[in-house]
Amino acid sequence: MVETTIRQKRYRFVVYAAVLSLALLSLFFISVMIGSVWFSPETVVGVFFGTEGSSTITSIIMGYRVPRVLFALFTGLVLGISGGVMQTLTRNPLADPYITGLASGAALGAAVAFVMPGIPLYAIPIFAFAGGILMLMLVMFISRKAGSGPLNFILAGLAVGTVASAFLMIIITSASNASHGILYWLYGSFSTSSWSDLWTAAFIATPFLIFMLLKSRDLNILIFGEDHAKQLGINSHRLWVALLLSLSIAVSACVAFCGVIGFIGLVAPHIMRLLVGSDNRFVLPLSGMMGAILLIVSDDIVRSPLNPLFEMPVGSMTALIGVPFFIYLLIKRGKNFDL
Amino acid sequence: MTSEEPALSLECVTVELGGKRILDNINAKVMAGEVFGIIGPNGSGKTTLLKCVSRTISPISGRISIRGKPIDAYSDRDFSIEVSAMLPHWPSGFSIDAYEIVLMGCRNRTKGIWWEGGEELSVVDGVLRQLNATNLIHRDFDTLSSGEQRKILIAKSLAQRTGIVLLDEPVAYLDLKHKLEVMEVMRDLASSGHTVVMSLHELELASKYCDHLLALDSGNVKFFGTPREVVTVDLLREVYGVQAYVRWDEACNFATIIPRSSKDRRGG
Repeated sequence: MVETTIRQKRYRFVVYAAVLSLALLSLFFISVMIGSVWFSPETVVGVFFGTEGSSTITSIIMGYRVPRVLFALFTGLVLGISGGVMQTLTRNPLADPYITGLASGAALGAAVAFVMPGIPLYAIPIFAFAGGILMLMLVMFISRKAGSGPLNFILAGLAVGTVASAFLMIIITSASNASHGILYWLYGSFSTSSWSDLWTAAFIATPFLIFMLLKSRDLNILIFGEDHAKQLGINSHRLWVALLLSLSIAVSACVAFCGVIGFIGLVAPHIMRLLVGSDNRFVLPLSGMMGAILLIVSDDIVRSPLNPLFEMPVGSMTALIGVPFFIYLLIKRGKNFDL
Repeated sequence: MTSEEPALSLECVTVELGGKRILDNINAKVMAGEVFGIIGPNGSGKTTLLKCVSRTISPISGRISIRGKPIDAYSDRDFSIEVSAMLPHWPSGFSIDAYEIVLMGCRNRTKGIWWEGGEELSVVDGVLRQLNATNLIHRDFDTLSSGEQRKILIAKSLAQRTGIVLLDEPVAYLDLKHKLEVMEVMRDLASSGHTVVMSLHELELASKYCDHLLALDSGNVKFFGTPREVVTVDLLREVYGVQAYVRWDEACNFATIIPRSSKDRRGG
């Protein structure tokens, strides 16, 4: 009875996972072809197998495009999974990974690095990462004082995030020479992504990503709150804090390099929930893949020669693509969003 | 374990919440294999008492033990194997199928971190069949009626397979047939050696199905004993502030309560 249902659900999950993996793989290949110069599929295959004669083409593809696409893929994965975790942790379907003020904190950190004299460009990610984590600590401290519970946590995040945004605005308006750089960073871009960025972010984020995935079954139980989970033998408060720290560190590690990319963390888990239900064992991995797909597509559009004059920030593109999709699903299957 | 040792005992349990005394010096002993009912008006401390036993809130003083061992001495995991509790819940905001909630109940015994094992699934099937709730499994929990939600939450508690089952108003919102079904299941549990502690407002059901009743009023124990000793005209007057007749059916051993309104004074 229940077993048949579960088997059907698992089967459906495997099908979706296979489809999304295949989509990701082909998307990766196509994305490497796209850019200010378009390469043919044969050229790309040639580069991958080391038979391409031109060293310029090889260095464009291997040194520039592949790390960029992979960084977008990894960031999408992190944002998709973290978004799903955050929505369950706060029991708020409208939450995204930045709800702790992490985005404003990282942005403030980056802005400080931009305007302070003597700070080299490569140090910006360190400042952004530190800003995000500091902000999280502050929010956790305040919400602890206010009494635990998701609502206190969200409110503390809102308050601290607003203060950080205020400081950010002061910096942007007062340092006019740096404001373009800050704004550009704020909306996210993969234009500077390199292999070393990718390895650094992946090195920091991957353990936490795996931890979150392994805890998806227990995360399901947290949907009904800490008391409920505690009765099932889960050290719910410790789990809550551990998951929150994990997702924040993972997200900060990516955001520090590519800037604040919105909507993926909100939209990707919802899309997958509409397709496979609320079980996080299904939602989290698929939501990660969906996040990666959305982000790669957004970045493809941003750097395709369709807009040759300037490169748009990828964060606005994720919104332009993700939100209509979200609205479509909302209208079509809105009953699932009843609060 | 001696048969004399209570499955659950409370000694001088006192609880204060927000500076207000909710439970005052409660003593109680519950033996294994009995259905123990906690009755009393709204706000008398029934839910608080259950929350203390389930370690959801901690008393400011007193001692609660399971088979002689204080509940604070259990690890979360061990405690979840001893005691399950059906307590008030809030809507999740996510659409979750009812069977997924029942499956959560198995979490206390599983080693696997990812999929549920076949044994767990058969436990869930058994519990759902026992409660006659198999028709609900594919429904979104938040769209179930209050009574149906109760049934699913009871099923979740039973899926925990604990020696002690705590239930906060398990039959509230259920219709008469389902109330009886649930109470029969509780009796079955008790006769298979489980200990069932529940709060309830239905005194007639309490009189029929419970072995002992504890009547709370403003955090104090006002009456304690067998249903025959507790469900009396005095209980209704002193604890509930209601004038009523109580009739005991000798054959079936249950009480019938007929309220007296001011109009039928002359008949009283």
